[in-house]
Amino acid sequence: MLDQILCIDDDPITLMLCKKVIIKCAFSNEIITSQNGEEALSYFNNIKTASNQNKVIQHPQLVFLDLNMPVMGGWEFLDYFSSSEFSEFHNIKVVVLSSTIDPEDLQNAKKYPMVIDFLSKPITQSMLEYLKNKME
Amino acid sequence: MFVAIVSHKILIQYISDENSQLYTFTKDILFVFVTGIIFKLVLSKNDSRNITIFEKLKNSNDEIKESNEKYDIVAKATSDTIWDWKIQDDSFSWNKGIESVFGYTQDQVGDNSTWWFDKIHPEDSIKMSIRLYSFIEQKTEKWQDQYRFRCSDNTYKYVLDRGFLLTDENGKVIRMIGAIQDITKQKEEEQRLKLLETVITQSKDSIIITEATSVDGKIPNIIYLNPAFSSMSGYDVDDLIGKTPNIFNSPNSDTNELQKLLLAIENREECLIETISLTKNKEEYWVRFSMIPIYNSENELSHWISIQREITEEKKQEKEKEQLIRELTQNNKDLKQFSYITSHNLRAPLSNLTGLLNLIEDIPIEDQELKEILDGFNKSTHLLNDTINDLVKVIIIKDNPSIQKEAVLIKEIFENVFSQLSFQIDLYKPIIKLNFDKVSVLNINKAYIESILLNLLTNSIKYKSANKKLKITITTNEVDDHAVLVFQDNGIGIDLERHRDKVFGLYQRFHNYPDSKGLGLYLVKSQVETMGGTINIESKVNIGTTFTLTFKNKQ
Repeated sequence: MLDQILCIDDDPITLMLCKKVIIKCAFSNEIITSQNGEEALSYFNNIKTASNQNKVIQHPQLVFLDLNMPVMGGWEFLDYFSSSEFSEFHNIKVVVLSSTIDPEDLQNAKKYPMVIDFLSKPITQSMLEYLKNKME
Repeated sequence: MFVAIVSHKILIQYISDENSQLYTFTKDILFVFVTGIIFKLVLSKNDSRNITIFEKLKNSNDEIKESNEKYDIVAKATSDTIWDWKIQDDSFSWNKGIESVFGYTQDQVGDNSTWWFDKIHPEDSIKMSIRLYSFIEQKTEKWQDQYRFRCSDNTYKYVLDRGFLLTDENGKVIRMIGAIQDITKQKEEEQRLKLLETVITQSKDSIIITEATSVDGKIPNIIYLNPAFSSMSGYDVDDLIGKTPNIFNSPNSDTNELQKLLLAIENREECLIETISLTKNKEEYWVRFSMIPIYNSENELSHWISIQREITEEKKQEKEKEQLIRELTQNNKDLKQFSYITSHNLRAPLSNLTGLLNLIEDIPIEDQELKEILDGFNKSTHLLNDTINDLVKVIIIKDNPSIQKEAVLIKEIFENVFSQLSFQIDLYKPIIKLNFDKVSVLNINKAYIESILLNLLTNSIKYKSANKKLKITITTNEVDDHAVLVFQDNGIGIDLERHRDKVFGLYQRFHNYPDSKGLGLYLVKSQVETMGGTINIESKVNIGTTFTLTFKNKQ
């Protein structure tokens, strides 16, 4: 079981569904949510500031990322997140969870080494089992 | 005589008898002397006159000789046929040319003018004789005419006949002498050239001919333009002869193209450009413009031929076409994007519904009515999901005209498909006969062929006959380098007489079944065609349906 997981999605029902399925599967202890890329980035910035003050704060081991979001979408988030500014988080794995069917999105995801998979919504128990196996 | 008389007078007057002897002697001496001088004088005069005459004779003799020689040379060199007409007694004689040129032997040649006139082409004879007699009337010195003269073999030769008149001391015309020149070759060449010339004068393409070389880096000066060029450019012949075609340039002419042309002229190479030109009235038109270097027999550049065609309309259409293609491409791109966004926006809430329903499955529900409602909710959601997934497949196929192909074992595909349909197969237990002996491997896209066979099998099960056990036969064959897959069932069939045009159409449904979406066969056809194959259907109501799929089976 993972300690902490971050779900980034603008749709509250999707977030609710994620929480329920993750809990049901006992996939992670803690579930953090962000409404868009910018919110998620500020969450990571907070962790950075805290660790500079020598506080030890847990950070997520896995991120579920939606692509289409207001303010800051998934791609923009990945661009920032994979820059050197966030280098201390580069061991965090990202799973794109989207309803897109655009083949270009699939190609695009391959550009980011931290993206370990590209999965189609909805999140399901079997999907989480599959990820568990993959990450072990 | 004079000396004798003078001597005698002197003798009578002065001389005495004793002196008479001396006197006689002296007189004789003197007499002989004077006579000698006179003789000498006369002789020398005669002599010089004789020399002059001799010289004259000699000269004229030389001239005659030379003239004869010249005549001989000319007679040999010329191919002219000479005739001599004594008009008074109408006697007519010919030289050897009448035989060597026209083929008449001496005994065939008539000795009067009628024979001559008789040989002139009927179309030419009237005109010719009118001109000839008016010439004889007017007694001008020279005459010439062209006509056709009949040869002994009844063919006609074009001739140029030149003659002059001889008159007697009273100015009366007595003779006419003429020389006939065979100009058939020149005439034929002239006609050939005239014919060739019509190509230029009658051509709808504009043609100009220019000098070989240019001054100050311009296009060489024009020496000829055809009527088509005049009507295209609005310039008359006088406007352009000796001018450079540079005057056609417009501020909007393509300078690159003009540079290309000038470079080609410098290098003496053929060149083809398209540019905007100006008419005399400064109106613009598009022209396709070629310059072809022409070399003379000494292999020197003698001039340039330029063939030009107005392509304003063509250019306009080309521009419109380009614009249309640009718009269509953009529209297509927009629509594609729109379909992705729409499908995303549809799929997002739908995936939530599916996810939530998945969660409900694990919750025991006591209320029977709620259970029924949720069941309906569940079914509708899954149907909606299937429809959208099929639509998405269609969009993706249409977006990817070329796809990856690989060698695929047909048996393996069927194993996959059957496992996906295991529930239905267990339920209806159809008789399925497979025969892949002839062709066992297809060069095909694996995902597509799976989808195709899944659709066809699902259809067979869905539309099976109610009172017959479902029987499906699938075989492969090879026909002319093509792999043919035949899929046959004994289901309820489709009325092809009514629906043949629509069978593979989008949203076409032929049976009132609740879960038919009208997408399956459309998708199948799209996938088959994307892989470069074809699909045909034969079907009879209540007897069954046969699909024939043909694929190129070479790499």
